[in-house]
Amino acid sequence: MSSRDVDVTLGAAGVGGLSTTEMVLNIGPQHPATHGVLRLRITADGERITAAEPVIGYMHRGAEKLFEVRDYRQIMVLANRHDWLSAFNNEVGVALTVEHLLEMEVPERATWARTLLCELGRVLNHLMFLGSYPHELGAITPMFYSFREREEIQAVMEEYSGGRMHFMATRVGGLLHDLPEGWLDRVDAAVSTVRSRLPDLTGLVLGNEILQGRTRGIGVLDLDTVLAYGVSGPIARASGLDVDLRRDEPYLAYGELFGEDGPGRVVTREAGDCYARLDVLVEQIQVSLDLVEACTARLRDLGPGPISSRLPKKLKVPAGEHYCASENPLGLNGYYLVSRGDTVPHRLKLRSASFNNVQVLREMLPGTVVADMVAILGSMFFVVGDIDK
Amino acid sequence: MSGVRGLLRGLGTTARTLTRRAHTAQYPHTEPTLPERSRGVIALLEENCTSCMLCARECPDWCITIDSHKETLPAQTEGGRERSHNVLDRFDIDFSLCMYCGICIEVCPFDALFWAPDFAYAEGDIRNLLHDKERLGTFMASVPESALPTAEEKG
Repeated sequence: MSSRDVDVTLGAAGVGGLSTTEMVLNIGPQHPATHGVLRLRITADGERITAAEPVIGYMHRGAEKLFEVRDYRQIMVLANRHDWLSAFNNEVGVALTVEHLLEMEVPERATWARTLLCELGRVLNHLMFLGSYPHELGAITPMFYSFREREEIQAVMEEYSGGRMHFMATRVGGLLHDLPEGWLDRVDAAVSTVRSRLPDLTGLVLGNEILQGRTRGIGVLDLDTVLAYGVSGPIARASGLDVDLRRDEPYLAYGELFGEDGPGRVVTREAGDCYARLDVLVEQIQVSLDLVEACTARLRDLGPGPISSRLPKKLKVPAGEHYCASENPLGLNGYYLVSRGDTVPHRLKLRSASFNNVQVLREMLPGTVVADMVAILGSMFFVVGDIDK
Repeated sequence: MSGVRGLLRGLGTTARTLTRRAHTAQYPHTEPTLPERSRGVIALLEENCTSCMLCARECPDWCITIDSHKETLPAQTEGGRERSHNVLDRFDIDFSLCMYCGICIEVCPFDALFWAPDFAYAEGDIRNLLHDKERLGTFMASVPESALPTAEEKG
């Protein structure tokens, strides 16, 4: 825009009735639309955004530094808190990294139970965004439906782990508790209840013309930008990036689940707009529910057995380094562990999905109008703790 | 006009949901039923505690404070040795710091700490979340039966 330069000088001089100056608008850190303390510094020319800068760090808790003075069991306490909506997946990621470096075998039953709980965690996470995103767009009702379904899953998760958010069920070498009596049946019941009622929610959300109008063709993220910014997870898949570590670099039991006849499949969309991102979430819930059912069936076949392996009294990880990545609900979560043979890690670096996913807003927001800003921001599905760590 | 269809369908869903029973409970009047493993509050069985400090050391954010002193019992029999044992003076858990991870309960070798599904202990003043051993002892009443050590294990 060549006229802008002129406008600025004219505006400053106070002449010219139609001249405008750009306005700097702070969205957050305390703002109802940013669910958390993310701050967006937006430069707007009238209604149009000309520049956007995510200002992060308001919630920095120094998790990586704290890891360095905690033993591997205590790390779980912190690891499941950086992204509080993927708590179980985070715990498992840390445990897998440590186990790889220890070259430890985990009982098969524990692996399947972990997979099961990871997928339940993914459903919980996606349902949350499926409720909160329409809420940010002004529709309060879907929240109640999504929380009704969440409660079904939460009940079985709580029965297993005793926690509702920070499960603390994973330990290096397996899981803390054995599965309660009859728990697998209750998981199956919860899954079928959620599955039967899910059309209510998805119909309300995806089938609503107002929501479609506000999200279709809005905030289009192209594949090149996805790759340039390292965007991952459902957001990247909505732009057509066919990457899912559960299939491409299988961990836990995913190798089999995403194998030839497995129920697992990678959900992608081509449009790359807000609607596509929401659509990916909805279908991923279905896939995760399928995976949960496959896991319960397998756990029934496996019968009783050990759920964790014995650990030495003082767990020391041999000197070395290892990088392990997992497909968290919000995207790739990497753990880079450097050990010097101590009971605590020398360094444990987290590569969290939301950090990259939010940076891309800098590219997406310029050119859009302020009214679409919340629609785009909400569709990036982030957790502020996961950005700031 | 196409917008009306989605609106009507949404209202249809609402109407259908209206005919079903409410999914929520009126909390203070109806108590929730919590699973046995619920991590609500930490209960202390004082007589089992030997003030070994394991829980206080393993706690990731050091929210447990233990003070104890040694007491010497005179010899029980003629020519026997006198025995000394720890007496617990203070066992505080600061629930404003506690992260409810359960590591203290996991490491306790003497079955002195338990999870209880109590949750209604919110306070108006953050300092009142520091629970002493008497307060922690009161939660023993709600520890589920299955979590308690069995009689034979107690010896």
